[in-house]
Amino acid sequence: MRAPLALVTVALLARAQDFSQRGFLETRLTVFPQVAPNDRGRALAAALLRYEASYKISGGWRLAGGLDARTDTHHEVERRWALGWQDRERQRPALSLRRASLLYSRAPLTLEIGKQFIRWGKADILNPTDRFAPRDFLAVVDNDFLAVTAARLALGTQSNTLELVFAPRLTPSRIPLLNQRWAPLPQGLEIREAAPRLPGGPQFGARWNRVGAGFEYSLSFYEGHNHLPLFEALQLSLGPPIRVEARRYYPKLRMYGGDAAIPLGWLTLKGEAAWLRSPASEADEYLLYVVQLERQAGEWFLVGGYAGQTVTREHAALGFAPDRGLARAFLGRAGYTIDANRSLALEAAARQDGKGLWLKLEYSEAFGQHWRATAGFTLIRGKSEDFLGQYRRNSHLGLALRYSF
Amino acid sequence: MNKSAVGLLAAVMLVAPEEARQIVEEAQRRSRAASERYEGILEVTDARGRVNAKRWVYHRLGSHGDSKAVIRFVAPPEVKGVALLIINHPDRASDQWMWTPATQRERRIALQDRSTRFFGTDFSFEDLEERDVNQYDYRMLGEEAVEGAPCWKIESRPKQTRASQYTRSVLWIRKENYTFARIENYVREELVRRAAYREVHNVQGIWTPRLIEMHDLRRNSRTLLKLEKLQYNLAMKDSDFTLQALRREF
Repeated sequence: MRAPLALVTVALLARAQDFSQRGFLETRLTVFPQVAPNDRGRALAAALLRYEASYKISGGWRLAGGLDARTDTHHEVERRWALGWQDRERQRPALSLRRASLLYSRAPLTLEIGKQFIRWGKADILNPTDRFAPRDFLAVVDNDFLAVTAARLALGTQSNTLELVFAPRLTPSRIPLLNQRWAPLPQGLEIREAAPRLPGGPQFGARWNRVGAGFEYSLSFYEGHNHLPLFEALQLSLGPPIRVEARRYYPKLRMYGGDAAIPLGWLTLKGEAAWLRSPASEADEYLLYVVQLERQAGEWFLVGGYAGQTVTREHAALGFAPDRGLARAFLGRAGYTIDANRSLALEAAARQDGKGLWLKLEYSEAFGQHWRATAGFTLIRGKSEDFLGQYRRNSHLGLALRYSF
Repeated sequence: MNKSAVGLLAAVMLVAPEEARQIVEEAQRRSRAASERYEGILEVTDARGRVNAKRWVYHRLGSHGDSKAVIRFVAPPEVKGVALLIINHPDRASDQWMWTPATQRERRIALQDRSTRFFGTDFSFEDLEERDVNQYDYRMLGEEAVEGAPCWKIESRPKQTRASQYTRSVLWIRKENYTFARIENYVREELVRRAAYREVHNVQGIWTPRLIEMHDLRRNSRTLLKLEKLQYNLAMKDSDFTLQALRREF
């Protein structure tokens, strides 16, 4: 906890108008009505302390940083208190550097170097072009973004912006732990995970964004590695039980993408598509796209759409791909603001062939200036061969209490 | 009604639109500033009397239909950093984007979505934009005192009907200093929002109401906006009013 205290001290010393900070302490309880074959636990408690600060140095320079400190009852979080900064750990680090970047801006240029969040795309729920946005997928449907270590240069005015990104190393998404319920393995199969093969090469991306009168669109390109892994079997021992030693690896990926938002009188039409190619012979090549309609009216916020996928080259390699797992599905999101303190939110994905369903309903209420309580229920149904359906034993209740500061 | 009265009424109806427009133009001219900054203290009181406090910082570069503004929440802690970028245009409705730090993304607020309340306040997204006098037609309705101050009462209708949620608005402009005293906004014939402008002070030569009360009559909810540390004509950079700037600020 020395680092957050040091940052608070810096906060007190810095001039108020140049220094900004925020954060929260959240405790969360998740209850699963059903046990899973590889996980008998029904309840999981977790706590997260997040602290973020920003300091405007001078002459267009700004320093931004953030730290996460967490613990839990289910060993999704490491038990050692070393500072994690790479986001390549298998479990969530107990103490991690969430972001740390130096930003320079002088019109028409913005340069940010360091650990930062880079978000591309305009759609909700699924963003096929969002290639610099790995996530923590330990609990697949309740995921959080991870920052990437990169240099980002944005050039341009309001109407035309060119964004260039260079990431010297890949930040992979964190995938479910094999001994836990979000890795639903077939019965009679034991998998031992070998050290992953993490690529060493850089990632590069470019995005041109055009803002017009009432509409906007962008074109994007990415050359690097997929932050979602494929698996290769190193050893196989026919049982029973069948034992496999498997290893994660991250195939090369090239993306050509685009997104657009066009208001149409009553609704806003948003579309996003990416053609993902790979020189790796075992990786699929596919077009991933989302078309959605959006409307905000009164206290309602409504989004409805469809995510599709066209596979142009198919291989049998086994992988973990939640982005493709949400394809060929109808997606929706609705929010209702009851009053200044209370809100309801609903998110859903329903497979077009009816083999998978994910539905999340949340009620949230603020108490005073600092406290917020959230209660929710996530329903997952479907067939075992479906990406969503395989988590059908993981429907859960969630309760969270957050103190923001 | 005798002939002279009819003649006078006809004359008033002929000159009134121009006079009404001139009054609004003068109000606009007198409030013109190269830039504006203030810290807004908001108190939202819902129909059940529960009070919710928020704070934002407002920066504006330019004036009336040719301006850019950023509103950034600084409290309560859970909305800290949420920001709205408004690019006002002289000939059409503004462009607006909202930045949410939690998702690290900005979202364009489409024209049809501008009737929505802005982050739990009683201001709609449209109420936060600044439009040029030329975007409306005006009609003089007469004279009426508001809270003891003699005012002109003027009706305004947007020229492009689809560009506004409001069918028409009724403006009360103080004769003494050409500041707004009250604005009532109608959707068809229903009064939906009423803004009252109080505590008028002279700030750097510009008469400015320092207290704005917005009453949402459909929800019976009120937001009191108090302008603190108000300053005009500060040095501001155009590049601080872009999507890139919205993202880089904390």
